Amino acid sequence: MAAERRIMGLFSDPDQVVAAIADLRQGPWALRDVRGPIPHHGIAAALGLKKSRVGWYTLAGGIIGFFSGFALAAYCAGQWNLIVSGKPVVALVPFFIVGFEFTILFSVLGNVVGLLNEARLPDLGAVKPHEPPCTGDRYGLVAGCSHEAAAGLEAFFRSRGAAEVSVLA
Amino acid sequence: MSELTFATIDQTVLDTLEPGGRRYWTLIAVLFGGVLLGAACWTYQIFVGVGVAGMNNPVAWGTYLINFVFWVGIAHSGTLISAILHLFRAGWRNPIARAAETMTVFAVCTAGLFPFIHLGRAWMVYYMLPLPNQRNLWPNFQSPLMFDVVAISTYLTVSSLFWYTGLLPDLAIVRDRATGFRRQVFSVLSLGWTGRFEHWRHYTRGYLFFAALATPLVISVHSVVSWDFALGVVPGWHTTIFAPYFVAGAIHSGLAMVLTLMIPLRRIFQFEKIITTHVLESVAKTIVFTGLIVGFAYGTEFFIAWYSHNPLEQYIFLYRPTGDFRVGFWIMVVCNTMIPLLFFFKPVRTSIPWLLGISICVNVGMWYERFVIIVTSVARDFIPYAWGLFTPSPVEFGIMIGSFSLFFFLFCLFVKHMPSVSMTEMKETLE
Repeated sequence: MAAERRIMGLFSDPDQVVAAIADLRQGPWALRDVRGPIPHHGIAAALGLKKSRVGWYTLAGGIIGFFSGFALAAYCAGQWNLIVSGKPVVALVPFFIVGFEFTILFSVLGNVVGLLNEARLPDLGAVKPHEPPCTGDRYGLVAGCSHEAAAGLEAFFRSRGAAEVSVLA
Repeated sequence: MSELTFATIDQTVLDTLEPGGRRYWTLIAVLFGGVLLGAACWTYQIFVGVGVAGMNNPVAWGTYLINFVFWVGIAHSGTLISAILHLFRAGWRNPIARAAETMTVFAVCTAGLFPFIHLGRAWMVYYMLPLPNQRNLWPNFQSPLMFDVVAISTYLTVSSLFWYTGLLPDLAIVRDRATGFRRQVFSVLSLGWTGRFEHWRHYTRGYLFFAALATPLVISVHSVVSWDFALGVVPGWHTTIFAPYFVAGAIHSGLAMVLTLMIPLRRIFQFEKIITTHVLESVAKTIVFTGLIVGFAYGTEFFIAWYSHNPLEQYIFLYRPTGDFRVGFWIMVVCNTMIPLLFFFKPVRTSIPWLLGISICVNVGMWYERFVIIVTSVARDFIPYAWGLFTPSPVEFGIMIGSFSLFFFLFCLFVKHMPSVSMTEMKETLE
């Protein structure tokens, strides 16, 4: 038997979720997770979510990309070392274009790595068939409590407008 | 829009994923036949040599390069709609963003085949890759053709990742309603997405960066394609207006293709409440805008040819409307700049048959624009002794049919197996 009961209240109105998060924190229960079909600024604010760090991965990718692209073009030009019309072998303007494209490419790759790493994806074990999905039209508020407090938590969810209450564990 | 709820959006889109009927599979079979025709023509060309195409001196860039530029152009509106309009918070783009992004990915794939086809000896493509080799041959990154390799590869990678990232929440919706093997497939594809706000926190940030990065990319890619021409000293090509002219033209053709695809999709899948007339009307208004830019670019080319006093430039711009390829020129002018002006009239831009008809005209016109730019300039360059004409061969027609079939084949497969409208973004529109 799990040491903690996990109960999910399913809401159709995100504003009810925002209110329920604030009230839940006042009670003897622990807020574990909030799920929803779309992002919602009110819920994110109620949860106190900080700005994602994905941007740092993107920035790192971009910096690496620019210098990699420019260096690749310069290296290839250096292998020829053939001066045409007195122009420099390492030509800044055309190689800047290669650097620019690599900046975008590596920024996006960094963005994807950042997204997967920060969101801990893929996580195929996260989808549990017995848990009601929150990808359609309902927001799920998951809270943990002791076995004794479970009935109170269920009553709390219902009092805050939950259309359904489900015991997860 | 007001009649929609989260549940009806899901149901409407998920209904499209029901198994296709006889007519659907007949269409798929016909399109696959077109793909086989193109593949057979390409195989024949590989065995016999690139001489089976109509390209020859002086027109060494024929329909393969025309189709390459055409399909890259088609690919541009997907990123315009998904990235640029996302940054502008234009809500009307939400119902069509997914289909436009899909169009982008398949159009870039189709475009990417043409340099291989044009090479003749397709297996020599590794010459363009910076691979250490015993011949000590390295690609020359001062060449716009190498810019193109880098730009198109980047565009394909970025647009595919952008498309897949946007699909994640919708794949989870399909997964949660699927059973059996289908559920297993969508479980893997959705990467375990459960809609946790911890996921949304990173997803919304990442998606914003995707849009911010795709915006300069989309402008750079067709600018780079234009430099394939503009960095050559050929009359009619060697002009600084080419980059913005090509970018505007690409978006013009891409938006027209969005209408060409969306209107039948809307009818077949009963998306009338999702892809409303207002959405189609907004695309039509944007086509008027891009059409005016394209028309201005056409006029500027002629003005500069006159103003420059360069006899070679003046001759090529006299040759285009009056020479051997004048029919193509006038199709280009009428279809791209005049017919779209009909969208100034509200009854036209809110009429489905008019929208479809004009979008097809613009597609035809934009194909001819590439024909006129590529063929006329090299057919009449510096030395009259070297002048020549160009007629596409049956092999080129076969490959062209194959490319169109491939694009529509992939698109038709997609709309029946994946959500063709972003359910998540539609729900965000309702909020």
